[in-house]
Amino acid sequence: MPTLHRLTLTAALAASTIIAGAPALAQDDSVLVGHLADYTGATSFVGKQYGPGVSDAFKQINADGGIDGTMVELDTVDYAYKVPEAIAQFKKWVGNDMVALQGWGTADTEALISFVARAEIPTISGSYSAHLTDPQGKNPNTKAPAPYNFFYGPSYSDACRALVQWAAEDAKEKRTENPTFVHTGDNHPYPNAPKEACASYAEELGFTVAQPVVVPLAPGDFKAQCLTIKDSGAQYVYMGNLGGSVVSMIKSCNTVGVEAVYMGNPWAGDYQTVEAAEAQNLIFPSSTPFYGADVPGMALVKKILENGGGQVGDRPTHHYLRGICSAYYMKEAMQWAKANGGITGKNIRDGMYQKTDWVPEGLEGVCLPSTWTPEDHRGLLRVAINSGSFIDGKAVIEEIAEIDVPRREEWLGQ
Amino acid sequence: MAHVPNPRPTGDFRATYAADRTLFRTRNETMAVLAGVVLVALCPLVFGGYVLSQLILIGIYGIAALGLNVLTGMTGQISLGHGAFFGFGAFASAWISGNGIPVLIAIPLAGLMTMAVGMIFGIPAARLKGLYLAIATLASQYILQDFFARADWFTGGTYGSLAETASVFGFQLNSDARYLYLVLFWVVIAFVAVANLARTRDGRALVAVRDHYLSAEIMGINLTRYRILSFGISSFFAGIGGALYGHYLGFVSAEGFTILLSIEFLAMIIIGGLGSVSGSLLGAAFILLLPQAMEVFANGVATVVPAIAQGTAYIKQMSVGAAIILFLVLEPEGLVHRWRMTRASWKLFPFSH
Repeated sequence: MPTLHRLTLTAALAASTIIAGAPALAQDDSVLVGHLADYTGATSFVGKQYGPGVSDAFKQINADGGIDGTMVELDTVDYAYKVPEAIAQFKKWVGNDMVALQGWGTADTEALISFVARAEIPTISGSYSAHLTDPQGKNPNTKAPAPYNFFYGPSYSDACRALVQWAAEDAKEKRTENPTFVHTGDNHPYPNAPKEACASYAEELGFTVAQPVVVPLAPGDFKAQCLTIKDSGAQYVYMGNLGGSVVSMIKSCNTVGVEAVYMGNPWAGDYQTVEAAEAQNLIFPSSTPFYGADVPGMALVKKILENGGGQVGDRPTHHYLRGICSAYYMKEAMQWAKANGGITGKNIRDGMYQKTDWVPEGLEGVCLPSTWTPEDHRGLLRVAINSGSFIDGKAVIEEIAEIDVPRREEWLGQ
Repeated sequence: MAHVPNPRPTGDFRATYAADRTLFRTRNETMAVLAGVVLVALCPLVFGGYVLSQLILIGIYGIAALGLNVLTGMTGQISLGHGAFFGFGAFASAWISGNGIPVLIAIPLAGLMTMAVGMIFGIPAARLKGLYLAIATLASQYILQDFFARADWFTGGTYGSLAETASVFGFQLNSDARYLYLVLFWVVIAFVAVANLARTRDGRALVAVRDHYLSAEIMGINLTRYRILSFGISSFFAGIGGALYGHYLGFVSAEGFTILLSIEFLAMIIIGGLGSVSGSLLGAAFILLLPQAMEVFANGVATVVPAIAQGTAYIKQMSVGAAIILFLVLEPEGLVHRWRMTRASWKLFPFSH
């Protein structure tokens, strides 16, 4: 290696050491909250909305004085939806005395169930898998109880049940004889989460349930899958994927002439998807109003967006609002913990159990009243059903039903 | 191979073949390796979880890369399916230990199971070369990946499976500090085994297959047998590495063992040095630490130039690709060669070679 090269290299190394070695200014009174976000991975289409919702909310929480004076040090890491990376990151955070975790995907959240329980780290995830709702393993079918896992919103299973309930009504109105339901989605934990639960409820309501169709989570040409759906004769197609994959599927299926109602999970529908797919009557559930709705809590949402990192533009989707709700429920649980023995993982978890029909202060009308108990982590069973259509070059979304899913014992954790 | 001056001091002659085939070439080298092992063993007393977790991962990836180096570096058989064999080892060990067998026994058993699977996939490889072999091993990657997603009884299907915590006579290896010793044990076993393999008749047969298969065959080397053997040995170490990885994370999921991991293993051995035992470990360390070093660097630059804060993830990814390209161009023989040159220049100072 010539001398010049060596000099350049040495200089670069020295510079990087100096820059990296600059000590971060630590807050005296602060707690660490880990935040797993997906900005570049398979679920980044919605990760780019939900993640900033969480980080902008904590920025606002700190600006408003933190947790009664304690600042929240939120460490956001883009783990690109890779489970091993999430686990490695989790271990690193636990080593730095993390008190709580804002999680994201189904695969990593389910992988971390036993880890967060062992380390007593309450987790509010962006995964709504029903596996996370049985904290004590009361249901004999629960594989692993999840005592430290929470999420804001209906579980994938409950949202899908609500959709099926709506579809049953819809089929009656349309006088469809013997309606057929089909599950589509990648062979992945996230789309698979509600598969069995939803199919059995559909059968209970008199649907014929066709064989599930595997549709990749990565966008592509899905005409072959659409032909399968067409052959099954399904009138109601549940989509377990999100973003680009849903867009590709709707377009492919329109090409091959599938005549069915498309129903998405809580992540599969938003105004961006409706616009990109030029969809007509895309049915999807939501657990917050849409940005700009006339509710008292929208003022705080607007403030959070204005003071935030500006990653979502000026018209965020409802996933951003759910991120804000996740952050504010955690904040209030932390406040309770601080007043009752200190901000530790265990106390924060107990803080989640303190209120019934709980709405975080300042977010009235944005976050719907939720209740978590030590036996049941199904915080929210009310599901708003929306229909999105592409009309005159923009998405028009209207709420068409509100469904209260029954709190059945045998559905706990399923 | 570029010429590297002999590192032996003046007057240190080899008068017999046996003396010329010792495991370590000089006494100092022996001492250095032993000191290295002792230093790593002392790390838990000094370092926190982060450094230990990096050491553990370097060890785990190092073992798997070593396996690939036996196959690609020593035998000249390219494989694009190594990541899947690594995954198979992880699932196998989780499955074996889930059926009541202690983890410490499950790990070598998983290695043997992976070896068997690797040899089955190695059968067509015995007849294929070059690009055809690359595609055949790529197929094995996809076949195994699909198997992971579908074989619920074995892998837990798309949800993955939980791997038990390793324990020694009831003493749980549930912290990084404790787990490091288990990994270190296997690193020593694996590296000594392969270093010895290179000195045996069979090891030299593998090299002959790589250097000129026709000459090797004329000399009486059974090509089919040695190619399949090489696949078996390679898969065994992939399986051991995978098993250690599975128990370290405590959870095994199919999505971690994609073609990208296979490519990463190839990058490790190319950067470390094809056919070099110690190079496998160097390459694993390099590939693992480079993204993190780049992250620290990019974050450091971002504090000065806020404009690139959004791009740190890309800088990380691109740096890995750039490093591989630069290595192929500037240091085709890998880190190991650079190290040998450095050592030779110390020896010969102040004269250049």
